Formats: sequence, C-alpha cells, structure tokens
Amino acid sequence: MLAYIRRVQRPNSVGRRSIRVAQRASGITESALRRAAMPLARRGFPYRKPTVPRSVEVPKKPSKLGGAYDTEWARTPIARAMRGVIVEGPMRLAVRTLTSPTVHGLDRLSDLERAANDNESPAPVIFAPNHHSHFDTGLVIRSIPAAWRRELVVAAAADYFFDAQWKAVISALSLHALPIDREMTGRSTSDRLRDLIADGNSLIIYPEGGRSPDGWGQEFKGGAAYLAARTGVAVIPVFIDGTSEIFGKGAKRPKPGRTTVTFGAPMWPGDNENTRRFNARIQSTMERLGDEALTDYWTASRRAAGGNSPSLTGPEYSSWRRQWQLGDRRRRSPSGRRRPRRRTWPAL
Amino acid sequence: MPRPGFVLDVDRSTPPTLFWRGEGFSLERLPADRSRIIYPPEPLKGLDHLDHHIRNALLNPIDMEPLPALLKPGMRLTIAFDDVSLSLPKMRRPDNRQRIVEAVLDMAAEAGVDDVHIIAALGLHRRMHEYEMRHVLGDRVVDAFMPRGQLYNHDAEDHENLTVVGETDHGEVLEINKRAAESDLIVYANVNQVAMDGGWKSLVTGLASYRCLSHHHNPESLRNTKSLMDRHHSALHHSIWRMGKVLRDSGPAVFQVETTINTEAFPSPFEFLAKREWEWTAKDRALFLGTSKALNKMPNTTKRKLFHNIEAPYRTTSVQAGYTESVHEITLQNVHEQHLVEVEGQTDILTMGIPFISPYNPESIMNPILVMCMGLGYLFNMYRGKPLVRAGGVVIMTHPTYEDFHPVHHPSYIDFFDEVLADTTDPAEMSTKWEKKYAEDDWYRHLYRTSYAYHGVHPFYAWYWGAHGQQHAGRVIIVGGHAPAVRRLGFTPASTMSDALEIASDVVGRNPTISHLHVPGVLVADVK
Amino acid sequence: MKALRIDRNVGKFGAARIVSAVSPGGAAKLGPLEHRTINDPAPPSGGGWQQVHTRLAGICGSDLALLDGHASAYFENWVSFPFVPGHEVVGELESGERVILEPVLGHAARGLTLPFEGASPADGDDHTHLATTSVNGIEPGIQTGFCCSTGGGWAPWFWAHESQLHRINGTASEFPDERAVLVEPFAGGIHAALMAAPVANRADDPVVAVIGAGTMGLAAIAGLRRYVPNVRIVAGARYEHQRRLAAAFGADCVAEGSDLDRAVRREVGCHLIGDPDEPILSSGAHVTVDAVGSAASIADAIRITRPGGRIVLLGMPANVTIDLTGLWHREIEMRGAYTYGTEKLADGTTTSTFKLAIDTVTALEAEMLVSATYSLDDHVDAIAHAASAGRRGATKTCFEMRGS
Repeated sequence: MLAYIRRVQRPNSVGRRSIRVAQRASGITESALRRAAMPLARRGFPYRKPTVPRSVEVPKKPSKLGGAYDTEWARTPIARAMRGVIVEGPMRLAVRTLTSPTVHGLDRLSDLERAANDNESPAPVIFAPNHHSHFDTGLVIRSIPAAWRRELVVAAAADYFFDAQWKAVISALSLHALPIDREMTGRSTSDRLRDLIADGNSLIIYPEGGRSPDGWGQEFKGGAAYLAARTGVAVIPVFIDGTSEIFGKGAKRPKPGRTTVTFGAPMWPGDNENTRRFNARIQSTMERLGDEALTDYWTASRRAAGGNSPSLTGPEYSSWRRQWQLGDRRRRSPSGRRRPRRRTWPAL
Repeated sequence: MPRPGFVLDVDRSTPPTLFWRGEGFSLERLPADRSRIIYPPEPLKGLDHLDHHIRNALLNPIDMEPLPALLKPGMRLTIAFDDVSLSLPKMRRPDNRQRIVEAVLDMAAEAGVDDVHIIAALGLHRRMHEYEMRHVLGDRVVDAFMPRGQLYNHDAEDHENLTVVGETDHGEVLEINKRAAESDLIVYANVNQVAMDGGWKSLVTGLASYRCLSHHHNPESLRNTKSLMDRHHSALHHSIWRMGKVLRDSGPAVFQVETTINTEAFPSPFEFLAKREWEWTAKDRALFLGTSKALNKMPNTTKRKLFHNIEAPYRTTSVQAGYTESVHEITLQNVHEQHLVEVEGQTDILTMGIPFISPYNPESIMNPILVMCMGLGYLFNMYRGKPLVRAGGVVIMTHPTYEDFHPVHHPSYIDFFDEVLADTTDPAEMSTKWEKKYAEDDWYRHLYRTSYAYHGVHPFYAWYWGAHGQQHAGRVIIVGGHAPAVRRLGFTPASTMSDALEIASDVVGRNPTISHLHVPGVLVADVK
Repeated sequence: MKALRIDRNVGKFGAARIVSAVSPGGAAKLGPLEHRTINDPAPPSGGGWQQVHTRLAGICGSDLALLDGHASAYFENWVSFPFVPGHEVVGELESGERVILEPVLGHAARGLTLPFEGASPADGDDHTHLATTSVNGIEPGIQTGFCCSTGGGWAPWFWAHESQLHRINGTASEFPDERAVLVEPFAGGIHAALMAAPVANRADDPVVAVIGAGTMGLAAIAGLRRYVPNVRIVAGARYEHQRRLAAAFGADCVAEGSDLDRAVRREVGCHLIGDPDEPILSSGAHVTVDAVGSAASIADAIRITRPGGRIVLLGMPANVTIDLTGLWHREIEMRGAYTYGTEKLADGTTTSTFKLAIDTVTALEAEMLVSATYSLDDHVDAIAHAASAGRRGATKTCFEMRGS
C-alpha cells in the first residue's frame, strides 16, 4: 500500500507571479515615457538644465532645508484650512483604526480650558509626551482637547523630517512641524518657538529628543523645561503607551493595536527652580504618570511618595535582560496587543 | 459684580414670569399691584486655582492640626463623601469631591497610609452607579480603589457593618457604619449647595442606619423644623447636632472639608433662565421660544434625558477644612452670602415652579411624591424667620405631576402611592400605620442592598419633608398636573394659573397678595 | 311566540367574530341571533315538566362569547341548534309562584337515575346524558338555554323540569326579581370560591387573589368572604365602579387590574422578579380565582399564584395560547369552575350551591348589580350594553318580560 504524499505547494508561486506583472507594467510605462520624452532628448539648453563650466565656482546656496527651513507658509489661512481637513479627516481615521486610543486624565486640563472667557481660546501649553513611534505625534494631536488642537506646533527633528523638500512640506502642512536641531537647540530656534507660543500656539515637544530604540524611555533633555521658564506657560506631561508595538523604531510595517494616552497635571517651574531641576521634576512626574497608566493612581501615588516609581529608562542591564524586563512590563498593560479575535463556539 | 437678590413688586409693565414646570417652562402673568417676585442673587464669582485653595485648606485647617500631621503609616483612614443627591444638577467634571479626595490621597500616599476606604455617605438613598462614581470622584480614584473593594456605597442594612457609637441625653442612638466608626481618622468631602447640608449632618445621616435616622426623620421633628435651611430653628438639626457631639466625644477624629458653590446652574447659552425677565435679549427670547416649543413636542423620556444630561458650570466660592462645627459656621456664612434675600412680611399665596429634579431623583423620574417633597419640602422651606406665605394661606405649584415611577430606583414609592396615600396623607397617621411594614419589607431591603433602589422607608421621609409645609398651608394647588395623581396627594388640581387663583379664593378671598419664588436660582428668603 | 333564537349558520358566526373586533355589540346585528316568531316548543314527555313564564332573563358572559363567535368549537357537541338562549332566569309558573331556574338539564330532567341521593342537576362525572338525546326526547344540551327541546330564557316562556326549579319565598318586594336573577351567576361564583377553600384552609394566613370583578368575580369575592374563613381577598378590577363593589362585597384590598401583582406582593411580602412590567412573584397568593378567562388573565394568574398553589379558572376561556412553563415550574394546579351542584363545606355539612347563592344574594342585597333591563325587541342594544358593561359602568344586563 503506497502512502500518498501530497507535494507541498511552492510557497512563492503567488509572489513570483506578482513580480512578473509589476515588471511588465513598469516596462510598458517606461517605454511610453521614453517615447513622450523623445522630442526633448535631442534638445539641449535652454530646454534642459545647463551644465556648469569647470573653471567657474558656483557658490553653494545656503540649504533651505534642515534647521533653516522656513515654515511661515504653513501658517497662512489656506495652509491652516488644509491642515484642519487633514487632521479631522485622514489623520483621525488613521489614528482610530491603527491605534484605537483610550484617553485618560482629560479632567486635569479642565481648569486651564475653562480659565479663558467664553469667546477666547485657552492659554497655550507645552505638551511633553514620551516618544516611541512616529505615530505618537498624530496620536497626541488627536487626543488633545479641541480647544488647543487648532493652534498646535510640533517640534520635529530637523535632520529627520526636514532633510528633503517633500518631507518638509508634508511635516509642516499636516503636523505644523517646526524644525529643531536635536543636538544643540540654537538661540534662533528657541526664539522662534517662544514667539509662536506667545502668539497663542501650544507646543508639542518630546523631551527624550527621539524615539526610544529599545522600548524603554531615555533621559529627558531640557527643551520643554527651558521654554516653559521663558514663556511662563504650563508643561503638561503626556504618557503614551502602546505605540512601540504598533510601529516602533525599526519596524517595517505598522501593526494595528490599542494605545492609551494619559495626561498629567499642568506643571509650572517653581520660584527658585532652575531649568535642570524643573526638567528632572518633569521626568519624575512622567515616571509616576507611566506607573499610573500601567497600574493605577493609588499605587503610583504611593510608589512616588516612597521614591519607588519604576524608572522610565529601565534597568541598568545588558541588552537581553533589558528586553526581558520590557516584556514583563508590557504584560501588565493591555495596550499594544492586537485586537483579540472573537471566539466562536465550535460547531457540534 | 454680581447683584444681590431683591423683591420686585409686580405692576402692569412687568413681563410674565418664568415658572419651572418639570421638564419644561411656562410664563405666567401674576396679578399686578399685589404680587411680588423674589429674585435670587446673581452667582458669586468663584475661586481661581481651586486645587491650590483645597490644598491650602488641608494644610491650614480650622481648630485642628494640618492633615499631613494627622496621617501616619499603618493608620486606618476612611474618606466619606456626599452622594449623588448633590449637586443638582451635577457639576462639570472634575467635581469638588474628586479634587478633595485626590488632594487627600496625595497626602496619604506621602505619609505612607495603606488602609484607605472611600465610602459614599448615602444613608438610605440608593447606591451609586459606577458611572456616577466616576463622575463624582474621577476615573483615577475609581480605577484604583473600586477593583480593590476599597471604594463602595454605605449599606445601612448590613447589620454586621454597623456599630453604636453612643447615645445622646435625649435617648437618640447614634449607629453608623462600622468601618468609619473604628477608623483613626474620617475625612469628609462635602459640597454644600444649600444651608441644610454639611456640618454634623454629613456623617450623622450619611453613614447612619434606619434606627439612627428615625430619631429625627419623623413627622414630629419635621413639623418642628422651621426651616430646613435654618439649623438654629430646626428640630431635625438640633437632634443631629446632639448626635454630632456624641460622635465628637466618643467617635473617631473627623476632618471635615466643606466647599460652597455658586448658583451658575445652566451652561451657556441657557444662563438666561436665571436672569430677570426684562433683561432677556432677543437671542435669549428666541432661544426660549424655540426650546419650549421643541420640548412640548418631545416625549417624556427624551425630555428627561435632555435635562438630566445638563452639567452645571458651578464655580466654588469657598473651601474650608478642619473641626466640623467651626468649618460649618464659615460654610454657612458663604452659603447665606449667595442665597439670602431680605423680604418684608408674608403674603396670602406662595407660588413656585417645581423643577425636573430633586435630591431623590438624579438620573431618574420625578414621581408625584417627589413633586410634593420638592414643593412643600424644599422650596417651601427656603426661608429663615417665617415662611413666605401666612399660616393657612395657599401654595400654588406648577408641575405636570404625571403618574410615572422609575421601577428600579423607586419601587417602594410605587407601593407608597398605591397603598399608603390611598389610605391617608397625614404624616403622623402613616408613620404609625404603615412605616414599619415598608421599613422591614424583605424585597425593598433586597433591592436597596443589591440593586439601585431607595430604601423601603424612603418615600415616607420624602413625605415627612413636606410635613411642615402641609401643616402650614391651608390649601395646596398644582397647576397643570395630572388630576388623579394630584388628588391622591391630597392637593387640588387646576388647569391654569387663573383657575388656581379662582380656586384659592375660597381660602384667601378675591384679592390675595402673592409671593413668587423665582426658581431657577436657589435663594433663601430672610422673612422679617 | 316571538323569541330570540340562535340558528346554526357558520357564515353568521364568522361575521359576528370579525365585527366584534371593532364593535362589541355589532355582533348582535350581524350575528346568528334573531328575534323571530318560532314554533312553540312541544311539552317534553315524562312527568314533572312545567311551563315557566319568564320575568327576567340575564345576559351572561358565556352568552356573549357564543354570540360574537368566540366560543370554542368544543361546545358543538353540547348544544342543539336552533335554540333559544338564556339560562339565568327568574320566572313565574302557571300557578303564579315565582321560581328561579337551575338551568342544567341533569339526570332527573332527562328521566335517568340520579348519581347519588339528593344530587343536584349538575352533579355526576359522566356527561353522556348531556350530549345525547334522552329517552324522553330531550335533545343534547348542557342547560336550558342551549337545548332546542326546552326553549330558553330569552323568550316569553319555556319548559322546565321540577328538578330545575327553586321556589322563591317572599313577595316581589321582599325578594325582588332583580335579586333572583343573580342567584344563578352567584352560584357559579360561590362554587369557584369553595374550590379555593381546601387550599386556603391548609394555610395560616391564606391570601386569595381574584382577577376581574364583573358579576362572576364579585360573586367569587362574596363567596370567599362568606364561606372561606380567615382569608384575605385581594381583587383586581379595571373599572372604578367594579372596585367599589368589590370592596363592598368583602375584598380586603382592591387594586387596578394592572397593579394586582404589586397588591398581592404587598399582602404576601415576597419579592418581584424580572421585568417590572410583568414581574413574577417569588411567592404569591395561595389561590387565584380568574374570573376573566383570557390568555392575559391566565398568564397573570400563573405569575401571582404561589408555587404549589391553585388557580381556579372561573371565566370561560376559548382557544387561548398560554406559556405554561410557569405552571409547570411552580407546580401550580389549575381547576376549571363551570357550574354548581352539591357542595361540602368546611364544617362537613352538605348543601347545594343554589341554597348558598340564595343566602348570599339576600345578605348582600345583590339586586343593585342589575344595571339595565331591555325588552326582547331591543336585543341589539341589550347585547351591545352587556358587551361593554365595564366601560359603561354596568354589571348585569337583563331582558325583561314582566307585564307582557
């Protein structure tokens, strides 16, 4: 009796076919373009760009990208209107489907919201979230109460978001991003930010400076604290949980999941508190906020009182133990896991 | 600058006056030259940076050590707070109680206190739903304490969890929640909307048992309570203060935190409802017309949902903490500053519009018994000195008084209406004949403990609340009410205000003087 | 003579049923009942038959059900068409004596031996004689008023057997006709009340609920008050005048029909379980007498009767759809109560229901329940009035033939 062995189907047959199709399609497009461009092919200057003679030194134009990119156009009425549409339309949908956020702690902001008279918008604030993913910005923008959302500026890394024209345009238009130099926040940048805040814009700035590389937090840089001291506005720490599983640093594709956003109470620098101390206070408040988000308010309060809040930056271990510890922490929070599939009863 | 309340003498140029009528409004014209309308004071300005003031009050209390000094590791701390019968309507989040409880918890955490219980001091009221807890205390406190079983509703029928603290020299037994009585410290988070609340009443009624409450929640005491808003002339409050002394002498330390709120009850654009009618702008009038017409077309369930969803933008006018009696004196000063209106003399008739809400039907239906309670109980008692209407005068109220009852919140009210009121409307008689049966009924007790029902005896309390008014008035007329229900209450139904005045002429003659209590806007008439 | 007669006409029964949906009395116009000259019924053979001249004849709920087509097809075998209806009768003999009719055509009337000594016409547990033509020529029929041989009460006269007649002691002013016409319905109600007695007597504080306070319900209440000691009666009635009468006849607590469940709960002190609009009592009444007999009232009866209790079904149901799960789960017993006969009381004595009924109507002066009388010519109005009796504040409607 021969056992009938079914041959395993080649796993790549489907993939191969799609590559062939793509190749053919691009081939056709290419030949069409070539034919269209043929009249131009035989022409030169002035139809085409000029070449520069070898003996001439063309001065280098100052790069208008990077830290020097001018985002003033993003504050014109047309740009604002387009941004409004983007934030309420595609961004809202994307945030909802990809990150399914739950927002906590909005009542801590009620007093600031209400401090204004009815017709004015409330005073600007500086939101200081922790940073794990590119999705953080969209998530925070959508979680912030509408009263502030309309006039928001995001401080974005100049070397990442503003190094190409298309990236700069998209960042400035959809996020109202402002380029800042990560290593050294120059005078002009901080002046620009201070002026924008004085105009009534609230600011989102990530004290960690960049996304976490391994899921733990990083030490806070002093940008938020410094600006708060200069402008007199409050700093509101925001703890985001779950985005590192969805689209963390180094991920190829986003995996939809759940997130929580927890707002902390507004903080002002104390009378004799310098920027460094205020920054340290913001970081410890963020630790307590993170503890509150992952466990509960009372546990966080008690641990904070005893100086036992779990550290944001994680243990001082080597790589695999850090990862191991991260998994332990992740298990406690429901965020980041994919939506559970509905159990169906077996057919009997 | 908020203007004080005042008494308007109605003349022919006076526009018609706004009357509450349950989930709706009407405008009534009062007869000229013999009517007066008592307008409430405008809302006082609230405190800015309320959290700072609360923290300040906790650190600088009156006649007691600062709170951090009273908190030690290993102690038993109980935090009690006013239940959902305050504020009316509910405040915008965050509620004062949330602010107070979070401030206290912060200090407790710093002091290393682990054993904390947070109890809703509801007495014989219904248990609070979880969403109501979240509204009053905020999500953080609820998420931290409810799953641990450290945040819960007081259960006056849990006899294992009640204990006798002591007895007054009048033989009144103070029996309260055991956990609270055996704590090292009780902190009470109060919202004082009217002068009746606060002081010793918070704990002595909020955490009490039926046995304890029956010493002062009875027809005799309430007939001698003149008025509920004036504790110095109130038999109810005298009894409560006696029990308070027992609590002070034999019970745990009590750190009372009281806050007073102003009268900004309506979110914009509806604040005009509390404004004087001749100051309504064209926009206000259009809004009023549009809203009244829309309300008339809606079914009752929709109207109720609409009204019970109102979140009042109340501002807090004062915070004080420390020894209960000293704190309460300051609280009362602030409450009176917001509420008192000086009035000269009494009139033959008192008119008032009854709102859609009373302390006993938040998120619920106002049944006929609660109409009586709100009218003759609360609004009639909004006086100091003498009632606004003379003895034997007529009280005219406006309310639809439909025979609807909420079967989950008010099951004993349904039977009270069918059985007790069909037999008698006299508080003394019903107390001897029927009260025990309802207080001890097994089903009502089961629903009070496990469902969201007011205690079986509660409709009697609602009725006794109006005992003084019932005794004082010669006749009570309800305009626009459902006639069989009105008659069952022992009152007279009338279709319009002029019919009501016609009916009243039997008692007060053809040209009676009329006082109208202008609610919306809480006020207390200081009658000379 | 000219009398009201029902002919067998399926079309007319159907039409009556349809019309009765919109107009309660409309069935009288389109239905099978007609006022016409009929052949006088022949005197039945065998002795003991007398001509009875009708003075008052009542309209009963079962008559109305028959007329508007709602009666069950069950009765096919127990009636003989065409017949003159009318079984609640007070009449006058040739000799001038006034009599009350006990309408069941029992063994004696049909020339058969009695099931036991001193049996009333309705006693016995074999109904052969009611469904077959008797030796003396009486056609099938449960009662006078459903039999083509004897005639019936809605006519100037009819034949009645000696065993069916109860002579009235007293003149018309001492014992009015209006009182006498209520004896038969009261006998039915008292019979139902006595069915509650064994269960009630076993309990310490028996509670009996009565659903419906039309004539039959009021009779049941009166019977319970007089003949079942210690019982607390809770009655549910839809109309104000019915509630007043129920209280007057001895009900301890009277509630609106829809509030009967809460009233029983208050009496018994148990819990209400489930949907607040149709709650089930965790305990309940020891006995429930359902004097309505509709699907809704039977369902209510199951809800409010104590587990292990008894439902006495007094009102005539037709083809009803009921969820009997409650009956099964609560181990409730349901008994039909149709007629009267010989009763055994709690103290061991035996008497006939009719005697008890005569005592009861005398004590209560029940003639007040007769609300309106009509002549045979006005039968359409009479039926319409009877069909909407509750709404119109009436209890019992009768045909009157005195003075003709």
